[in-house]
Amino acid sequence: MSTAGRSRQGQDLVLTGGIVAIIVVFSLLPMARLLQEIVLPRGSFSLDVVASGLVSRTTWIATWHTLAVGIGGTLFALVAGVAVALLVSLTDVRGRQAFVLCYVTPLMIAPQVTALAWLQVAGPSSPLLNALGMAPPIGTRNPLYSPEGIVFLLGIQYAPLVFLIVRAGLRKLPRELVEAAQAGGAGRFTVLRTVILPLMTPSIVGAAALTFVSCVGNFGIPAFLGIPANYLVLPTLIYQRLAGGGPAVLSEVAFLSVLIGIIAMVGIVLQDRLSNRRDFRITSTSLPAAPYPLGRWRWVVEVAMWLLIVFILVLPLLGLVLTSLVPGYGVVLSSATATLENFRFVLFDHVAARRGFLNSLTLSAVCAVFAVFVAIPLGYVIAWGTRRWVKALNLSVELPYALPGVVLAIASLLLFLKPIPLLNVQIYNTVWIILYAYLARFLVLAVRPTITGYHQMDRALEEAAQVAGAGLFTRLRTIVFPLIAPAAMAGGLLIFMTALCELTVSALLWSSGSETIGVVIFSFEQGGDSKYAAAVSAIMVAVTFLLMLFAGLFARKLPDGVLPWRD
Amino acid sequence: MNTIFARVLAGRLALAAALLASTMLAGAASAGTLTLYTSQPEADAAKTVDAFRKAYPDVEVNIYRSGTSDILTKLAAEFAAGSPQPDVLLIADAVSMELLKKDGRLAPYMEARLDGLDPGSYDADKTYFGSKLITTGIAYNTGAAEKPQHWADLAKPEYKDGLVMPNPLYSGAAAYMLSGFAGDPGYGWDFFQKLKDNNTVSVRGNGAVLKSVASGEKPYGILVDFMAMNAKKDGSPIEFVFPSEGVTAVTEPVAIMSTAKHADAAKKFVDFILSDAGQKLALSQGYLPANPAACRPAWMPEGTKVNIMSVDVGKVVGEIDGAKKKFSEMFGG
Repeated sequence: MSTAGRSRQGQDLVLTGGIVAIIVVFSLLPMARLLQEIVLPRGSFSLDVVASGLVSRTTWIATWHTLAVGIGGTLFALVAGVAVALLVSLTDVRGRQAFVLCYVTPLMIAPQVTALAWLQVAGPSSPLLNALGMAPPIGTRNPLYSPEGIVFLLGIQYAPLVFLIVRAGLRKLPRELVEAAQAGGAGRFTVLRTVILPLMTPSIVGAAALTFVSCVGNFGIPAFLGIPANYLVLPTLIYQRLAGGGPAVLSEVAFLSVLIGIIAMVGIVLQDRLSNRRDFRITSTSLPAAPYPLGRWRWVVEVAMWLLIVFILVLPLLGLVLTSLVPGYGVVLSSATATLENFRFVLFDHVAARRGFLNSLTLSAVCAVFAVFVAIPLGYVIAWGTRRWVKALNLSVELPYALPGVVLAIASLLLFLKPIPLLNVQIYNTVWIILYAYLARFLVLAVRPTITGYHQMDRALEEAAQVAGAGLFTRLRTIVFPLIAPAAMAGGLLIFMTALCELTVSALLWSSGSETIGVVIFSFEQGGDSKYAAAVSAIMVAVTFLLMLFAGLFARKLPDGVLPWRD
Repeated sequence: MNTIFARVLAGRLALAAALLASTMLAGAASAGTLTLYTSQPEADAAKTVDAFRKAYPDVEVNIYRSGTSDILTKLAAEFAAGSPQPDVLLIADAVSMELLKKDGRLAPYMEARLDGLDPGSYDADKTYFGSKLITTGIAYNTGAAEKPQHWADLAKPEYKDGLVMPNPLYSGAAAYMLSGFAGDPGYGWDFFQKLKDNNTVSVRGNGAVLKSVASGEKPYGILVDFMAMNAKKDGSPIEFVFPSEGVTAVTEPVAIMSTAKHADAAKKFVDFILSDAGQKLALSQGYLPANPAACRPAWMPEGTKVNIMSVDVGKVVGEIDGAKKKFSEMFGG
């Protein structure tokens, strides 16, 4: 009995130790290294890096730009996301499931693809406008190459994020309160203003914080729209410095990346302050309130909603596909000029593109598989474990994802510029450094749904096995794993889709031989080859759609709210 | 850790890692991998390497592509870090090569086969060899109001807000043109000041200029010949002129680094670029090959007169960094 007990304790210790090791390696280590570079460069305390960064004018211009597009994009996304969430959740519009699927799709498409697609819609060479005979005259600048363009696209990209969070909040709206207000004679808009919106404050503020962090950390959109207009934000400034200066400027860009981190943190702290000012607790869970009948306005609203989908989804994708069929710039697209040559070139002729497809597929698959296998024991310890301090570590898993991707990329560079001590392995300039950064960044995407799954699961089976004498690892393998696997795998799928077209991290970490698809698209566009960039992007959008449909097949087996595009 | 769960987990992870390693690192790590830094456009660079691999199937090639000036900056950082990556360079112009040669970064290749090449096209010390002739002229959108013929036209009020040019801090051909023009009493910095006064925009490279002009965002551009001609062949609404008063021309030289880890493979690459097959390939990509025996591209009919400005490379080498800096201050990029 005592040996069995000791072995059981041993297993528990191994599990906890393994999890702590993973959290340290993938989350605490890179952040610690980054901070060390800022205040302890070359081993001794010094604020030189900070000081020289603070006096540089470019730093402040880029910081100001970052704040401007961050706040602008957040406001845009908030208005659009909250309005749509209210319409979908509180009224009796039809075709909700299909609408949500379409509305959330821009979130699943990589930002640089969104940017590229929108660029094809406007401007004098837009195949779409040319085909309609509506193209602006020669010499007109594409209006999207501007700060307003960046704000607009950030808003479209992240409005679905706001929508998802606020919609989840609206599901918990207490029916009694709404009905009480209505019984008291309050009109629709009074109820909305005095009951519903105040109750939704935590969701809205939370969504705002998350959107703000996503906007200030976004690289794809300001890279495609801002660099040609010489409008630099911090992530693109870091990219340009690093591309031109290489490892020599690492300290300098490390400071810039910490600056982004601070801006993001301020957003999160503000959110915390705002939602703690009042008590927003909802006491009961109740049935959803009866939807507002829209009456004869219903079809008007429905038409408007689908026009919105045409505008935010169909239009840019059409622009993307048309550009991928054009033989050269400024050629008017017709059945005679349309060609599949661009697709043939990127799929068969261009070595780097082919390697990019292979690299991205392998990276995201390995990353997803690894995250699923880590998330199951990690979620177990966090959701069902007894050690408080391990639960606190959960926060640090969130850290690399809460901070903008640029921060993590710079931290990884600092960590691996020199060969790994003891092992003497050099992973800088190889694909492994990208894999490391992906694992650190995306792990939480699998951990979150897994923890949700644990909370929705009955623990009785596992406890029965424990009583029957099954050890921890046996229970994990035979009881927990089969039960939790669908939730963890849904998380894995999210990781796969996010990592497949990732650009922010890989733009800073790639080297020849380790290009990702995101980098390939970016390089084509930077070299002036939009048609090839469009062809690669069109292929990736198609892959994303197929994955979403594929995941939908298994939706019934998954816990609620795991697949964002399922209503 | 000796349970089945742990073993299965470890097994799968090991499998995944092995899969990753075999698919991605097998090529990159092998001994016969040549690293090429080039300023050729993405698609052309890919075709060049493809043709080279057909001629020498045992050599793998890694490409890093960027503008020539950008590559020089990257190289400077790599020299500082003590680990220059490339074995062989194929970049825009002789001035950039001279800068590297001056610091002893290039290795001579005495046995290079130079039959049929003009002695002026390669370095007398045989450290770099011109592979083509690329001129920089004026491109315009066929829908544009004006038809520019001369450099001086670009400073006229009709061209205000309409001109785009490649940034010399990125493009080697543009840096060469900048030094050539700035040092020429007929143009001087005054010419660039006039362009600036006309609100000329300087963009990242020739690819971006092409895109801007062909797509009509800017009607006029300063551009390299082959890009305009290739786009025209694809049906883009673009025309190209060689101003009769003279154009600058770069030679897109190829060179072996003195720090090359794969010197033999690098020599094979130089051989290929200068060979008949390499010169014919350049021709098929729309360039004017260095070796006259390889003919002229279809866009340049026999008898076309192109007046090439003479630029004193030795003098430019000393001035180019200052010129780039001055341009940067002027155009803010």
